[in-house]
Amino acid sequence: MEDRLQIMLVDDEEIVGKRLKSSLEKEGYAIEFFLTGSEALKRLDEKHFDIVVTDIRIDEIDGLEILDAVMENSPETKTIMITGYATAEIAREALAKGAFDFIAKPFRPKDLREVIIKAARQIKRD
Amino acid sequence: MPDKKSRATGPSLGSVLKSDDLAYPDGKFSAEMDRALRERPSFSIRSRLLLAFTLFFVLTLGITLWTMEILGDVHEKILFLEVADDFKVELQQARRFEKNFLLYGTNLDDARQHAVRAQQLTAKHSGRFLRIIGKDSLVVMNDQLAQYIKLLDAIGHGDRKKYESELRQHGAKMLRLAQDFVEKERKLVQSMLVLARRVPFIFLAALAILMVVVGVFLARQIIGVLTRLMEHTKRFADGDFTPIPPARKFRDEFSKLALMLNHMVRELDRHQRILTESHKLRAIGTLVAGVAHELNNPLNNIMLTASIFKDEYESIDEDERLEMLDDLVEQSERARKIVSNLLDFARQSETSIEPLDIRKILDETVALVGNHIKVKKIKLVLDVSDNLPVVHGDRQLLSQVFMNLIINAMDVLPEKGEIRIATRVDGDGDYLVVDISDNGPGIPEHIMGQIFDPFFTTKPSGKGTGLGLSVSRGIVRKLGGYIEVKSQLGKGTTFSVLLPVTSIPSELSANNSKRGKGTLVD
Ligand SMILES: Nc1ncnc2c1ncn2[C@@H]1O[C@H](COP(=O)(O)OP(=O)(O)O)[C@@H](O)[C@H]1O
Ligand SMILES: [Mg+2]
Repeated sequence: MEDRLQIMLVDDEEIVGKRLKSSLEKEGYAIEFFLTGSEALKRLDEKHFDIVVTDIRIDEIDGLEILDAVMENSPETKTIMITGYATAEIAREALAKGAFDFIAKPFRPKDLREVIIKAARQIKRD
Repeated sequence: MPDKKSRATGPSLGSVLKSDDLAYPDGKFSAEMDRALRERPSFSIRSRLLLAFTLFFVLTLGITLWTMEILGDVHEKILFLEVADDFKVELQQARRFEKNFLLYGTNLDDARQHAVRAQQLTAKHSGRFLRIIGKDSLVVMNDQLAQYIKLLDAIGHGDRKKYESELRQHGAKMLRLAQDFVEKERKLVQSMLVLARRVPFIFLAALAILMVVVGVFLARQIIGVLTRLMEHTKRFADGDFTPIPPARKFRDEFSKLALMLNHMVRELDRHQRILTESHKLRAIGTLVAGVAHELNNPLNNIMLTASIFKDEYESIDEDERLEMLDDLVEQSERARKIVSNLLDFARQSETSIEPLDIRKILDETVALVGNHIKVKKIKLVLDVSDNLPVVHGDRQLLSQVFMNLIINAMDVLPEKGEIRIATRVDGDGDYLVVDISDNGPGIPEHIMGQIFDPFFTTKPSGKGTGLGLSVSRGIVRKLGGYIEVKSQLGKGTTFSVLLPVTSIPSELSANNSKRGKGTLVD
């Protein structure tokens, strides 16, 4: 086990993964990126992540389903939802289900970084 | 995927639904029909039945009264005949004694007595005599009788020679007259009785004929109206919501039914409008959500890339910088494409209408997609007939429609799939049909209703925009045609573009409003 924070990133946009992975890795996080929900779910079974960042809309498997899987298997993991267009309803639903926070597209890397730092602090406190 | 998108239908869109739009547009016309239906003079089925029964009753009453009248007459005449017989007998007696007197010189008094008794009979029953034989005949008879008595008296006083032959003649004449009367009356009574016996049969026959006539008339009226109303309801079912106009000069219970049917049809139409309207709203919702989502992705990519490019400029190498710039251009292009598709979608009002050679358009379109098709090793069969009827439209837009349909087929086909493009003329020769078929996976039933909604797509983001079919439908509708889909899971899908056959472009708008309620897609 390394002491770097393990982060999973799920989005169906290749560029999101490419950019955020290299940028966040420079910050000292360990990032794994997945384009589809099914791949992400498979990986979640194998490995424990500290933080999961997922788009709400991805192909066959919904971001909310990933949230459900995380809440079931490792509730201590912080899940951050990315919403395409911030509808209060879906965000509220995600928060009610136990999501840590959400962030609306389009966003800057620094916006995500701030949320991740907030989550990391929370994890340390727990 | 589909229901994710439907979340986007914002409640704020509800305000688009103005109640004005939902009012029945032909409301005035419909109200006029209703008034016309109502303002005719009333002649209800009830009053028609009442009239028929009254007619029967009056007829029966008439016949009964008439029969009673005849029987009364007969009765009267029989009574008269009794008296007349007595009268005749008295006269015969009188004449017999008159003969005796003339032969033997006896019984003159007896003769006179009988003659006087006959006179008394007519006096006593003068009313009856008057009624039956009339005043003139009664006067003649009385005169003759009086004359006869006078002659008897004259002969009794001695002038036998002088009056004998006159008495004989007069007596014979008088008796004949009386006998004639009695005979005549007897015959009359006989014929009246015969008539009275026939009356019931005549009456029954007349009644039967009348009943058949009235019955057939009423039934024909009622059945006629029912058939007419049935035709109207069939028309309603076919989607023609023109109200029922008045067809007769009067109104009855059926008019109320017609009014109710008109009311029902108005409500049906209103509900259908509300449904269409809410469907449109859902489409607008999908559209807005789709635009937001579609644009958000490239925007997000641009924002992330540009931010990182700026923040980490020093720490990234040349190659990566170039890659990021490429991504920026590519993502801007993607956003541009979404916007231009959206504009196509909105632009449908500026179509130029010209006579079209469908064959040429299909050839050109196929040439445009030819390269892609070769790469995917898809077989494309073009089966276009030679002398196609003329259609009017915008060649570029129509080409776009065929292109969209071909690309959709290409997208779902595996390598070595087949696309077949065929033309035909539909049954009545009203439409030129272009069928674009593939042997791909088919379209599942549950998304059939949505594939024409703007931004509805089952393709991964970046690949499908979900605008192809909705734009195509908009274009074809504009030309007065429509698009039909037939699909079988695992077997394939056929999209049919139906374009109205027109000789002059102005027919387009007329065609447009005429057709359309019963089609699968529209
Ligand atoms: N030939 C076809 N076979 C199967 N599905 C089809 C076909 N054409 C269209 N579809 C379905 O209809 C959807 C909407 O099509 P369209 O409006 O052209 O948008 P897009 O192609 O961008 O997805 C497609 O995503 C697909 O699910
Ligand atoms: Mg398409």
